[in-house]
Parts: sequence; C-alpha cells; structure tokens
Amino acid sequence: MLEIKGLSAEIEGVQVLRRANLSLAEGATVALIGRNGAGKTSLLRAIMGFMKVTEGAISFDGRPLDSVKAHLRPRLGIGYAPEDRRLFSSFSIEENIRLPAEVMKLPAAEVARRLESIYAVLPELAELRHRPAAGLSGGQGKMAALARALMVGSRVILLDEPFQGLAPVLANRYAAALRTLRDSHPDIALLITESNPSLLRSFAEKAYAIERGEVSETALAASSLAAAGLH
Amino acid sequence: MLLLAALDGLAYGSLIFLVAVGLSLIFGVLGIINVAHGSFYAIGAYVAAAGVLAMGAMGLPAWLAFPFLLVAAALVGTVVGGVVEIVLLRRVYGKEEVLQLIVTFAVFMILEDAQKVVFGVQPYFANAPMNWLGTVDVFGIYYTKYQLILMPLVALAVLVGLRFFLRRTSFGRAIVAVTQDREAATAMGIDAAKVYLITFIIGASLAALGGALASATTSLTPGIGAGTLVLSFAVAATAGLGRIEGAAVAALLIGLGRSVAVYFAPEFDVLIPYLIMMLVLLVRPQGLFSTVQTRKV
Repeated sequence: MLEIKGLSAEIEGVQVLRRANLSLAEGATVALIGRNGAGKTSLLRAIMGFMKVTEGAISFDGRPLDSVKAHLRPRLGIGYAPEDRRLFSSFSIEENIRLPAEVMKLPAAEVARRLESIYAVLPELAELRHRPAAGLSGGQGKMAALARALMVGSRVILLDEPFQGLAPVLANRYAAALRTLRDSHPDIALLITESNPSLLRSFAEKAYAIERGEVSETALAASSLAAAGLH
Repeated sequence: MLLLAALDGLAYGSLIFLVAVGLSLIFGVLGIINVAHGSFYAIGAYVAAAGVLAMGAMGLPAWLAFPFLLVAAALVGTVVGGVVEIVLLRRVYGKEEVLQLIVTFAVFMILEDAQKVVFGVQPYFANAPMNWLGTVDVFGIYYTKYQLILMPLVALAVLVGLRFFLRRTSFGRAIVAVTQDREAATAMGIDAAKVYLITFIIGASLAALGGALASATTSLTPGIGAGTLVLSFAVAATAGLGRIEGAAVAALLIGLGRSVAVYFAPEFDVLIPYLIMMLVLLVRPQGLFSTVQTRKV
C-alpha cells in the first residue's frame, strides 16, 4: 500500500535520508528503529510531504505521492502523530481530535462514529475530552495525539516515537491502547518509530533499522538488534 | 472637559484600532511585520473618497456611500493585499526578518508612488457621509454622529466579529491552528498557504476599512499612510503583537491619551502615543497583553 523507493532527502543542504526503501502493507504493523538523529522523523515527515525530497519516490496505493500537496495527504487516510505531540494548546482535547474532521468536512454522523471508536481505544480521553490541551501531562498528550491521528488515519497511522519520555506505567498503557487498536481496526497499517526496539517487540511484525538515513530490513529479535548495534 | 476629551479619543482610538488589529493579525499568523500596511490604509481612503465624490457627481443618494465604504475596503484588501501576498510575501516566509522588512518596505514605497500616479497630489475631501449622518449635542458641543457613534460601532463590530470568527468558525479555528503550528496544522489537512492568503486579505481589508472611514473626516494628502502605520505600530507594540483584544485596549488608551493631551497640553499631542508605548514597553517589553515567547491570534 505505502511504498518508499530509493528516497533521499535533505534539510538545509544536509542529507538526512539516503536511498531509503520501506514497504507497508495494508493492516501491517511495522517498526522503524534507530537512534536519535538517525532519520526516523525525517522519513515520516517525508511521507507527510514536509521534506525536500532529492531523489526516489513514495507511492500510496500505486499513486505517486510527490504530486499530492502536503495538506491533501491526510485526505488519503494518512494520520500522523508527531513525536512532540504538537497539540493545539488553545483548543480542548476533543476540539483537537475533531479538527481534521472539521477541515475535511466529514458528515456529523461519520465524525460521531469515529469519535466513538477513538474513545473505545483510548477510554481515558473520553473523561478528559473538555479539558484544554495545554494542561495535559506528557502521557495524556501522546494519547490525544494518537486520537487525532486516528480521526484522519483511516488507512495508515504514522507514530513518531510514541513511547519516548513516557513513564513505564504510561508506556504500558499506551502499548495496550495500540493492541486494542490493532484488534478493533485490523485494516489500518501502523508505522511506528522507536529508539528502543524492546517496546515494539510484542506487536510489530516487521522491522526496519535506520542509521544515518540508510534504511535496512531487520528482525525484531533481541540478538539481531544487538548485532545491528541498536539494543 | 475630560468627558469631551474621552469622546474625541473614542473616535480616534476606533480608527487606529482598525488599522492596528489588521497589522497585529497579520503578524500573529504570518509572523511578518508588514510595513506596507500603511499603504492599504491610504489606498482604502483614496478609493473610498474618489468613489464617494464620483457618486455625488452622479447624483446618487448619499446613504449609498456607507455600503460603498465597506465594498471599497474589501476590494482594496482583496486585490492589492492578495497580489502583494501571492507575488511577494510568499517568497519570504520563514526567511530572515530583515529581508521581510525590506520587502514590505519596498512595497510601501512602490504603493506610495502608485497612489500619487493614480490619485495625484491634490488633497481629496469627501465628507458627504459624515454630513449626511448629522451631529449630536453633548453638553453644548456638537459632535458628528459619524465620529461619535458610527466609527466606534464599526470598531466594536470588527472586534466582536473577529473574536467570533477565530473561535467559533471552522476557518477561524484553522487560522488559530496554523498560527500555533503550521506543520501540525497541515498534517490535519489544513491548507496553510490559503490560510496565510486569507488572513493577509482580512488584515489588509481592515486597514483599508480604517482608511475608508477616515476619508470622510479628513482631507487626504500623500503621506497619510506613513503616519497611520507608525501609530498602529505603537498600538500593536503596546498591546503585544498578535493580540486582538489587546489592540482594542491599547488603541483606546492611546486614543484617549492623545485627546487628553490635545485639551490639556497640545504641544505633546504627537508625542503622547509613543510616550505611552515607551512607558509600557519599559515595564513590559513583550507588551501589555502578551506572555513571553507565545504567539497567539
């Protein structure tokens, strides 16, 4: 469904992705493992259309994405939860979650249906829905960012280091929410970046390692990751 | 005496608010300090005056001038503002501030000359709308209803309307989202380029509306844009750039301060707005209503 072939990208003249290849099938859960600065965020931002791509291509359902403007990509069903959450602080949590639906002018019934399914995956957000996003803790903010990505991501969800900075209890809670999502929406593909592969071992079925912008397929078993110097 | 000064200040403050809130909105969303903002005020004033004079010459009823002032402001904001944003500003977003200042200053200079070419250098005076509304007697002093009632009402409508637009409408919320985080807003499906364009057109139209309203109260000569621009900068800086309600309070403060000076110490009349700005910025460098390092609409 989502194919990245020979993708290179740069930020202010510095190459951050080097001929990266990655493939994401419908309903798959794929991990992208790498150290800080390896290019994980750049790859996700390239998918969303925020990077200057110098060579290679990204296609979605066989259609090249480079001709699709960044703001039109969410309409293809691609949801994105950035690492630093980036919620809109002057809105409430539910206003944040509803925003993409409002922008895409989804019918009210469809928005209600999606909200219900989001709150089924993340029940703690239902209680906090009217709270201002500015007052959320780190863990709550990550969940709200996941919820917002779910509102738009009917096909693919890109999660950038969702466990980063979470206390162990919250990380477990977040992982449990991802498992619920996996069960309730088996057709949505998940691409999750992480620097600590052990967190993803329990539910990712395929993994890529990224190092200095180069992507290679890897196994999630502890030994092979250790061999790759990532664990 | 103080009441009379307050009534004068109200009209003056309303006018400056319209210009300053546009400047502030553009800075809050686009992050650009728009020196060309004064030109939108001046062109709005000239187009409105030329239109009102033409309508008078054609023998059209005087009340038609009021909807025309609104149309003229929207037209100037959309056409001149739209062209400036699409052709020039788009290329300098996110670049160094000095470059943005030079570009908008160049636009200001070009538009100043364009006004002279199109409208000439002779003063324009089109006070028909102000005369048509008549006067009102306050303690034996006659005020024009245009300045005492209409201008503050328009300013109030703009303030309430802008607040409602930004908080309650879908496009308004898109503007707020882009202001807070352009990339995250784009990932939600918001067309940030369109948001920038429309915000710039709204800001430019508000300046042009200030000019259109002012055109009935004063004679228009080359250079009116520069004076108003500097004053609206003082208001926006006093409030904290990007603050809408703050701009209203600061405009009122500076309007009142200036009127009081006119009555009690006329030699300080021109100085007062900047004195107020300086005092405020000495105590609160980020402006009256801003918190440090945040940028809000």
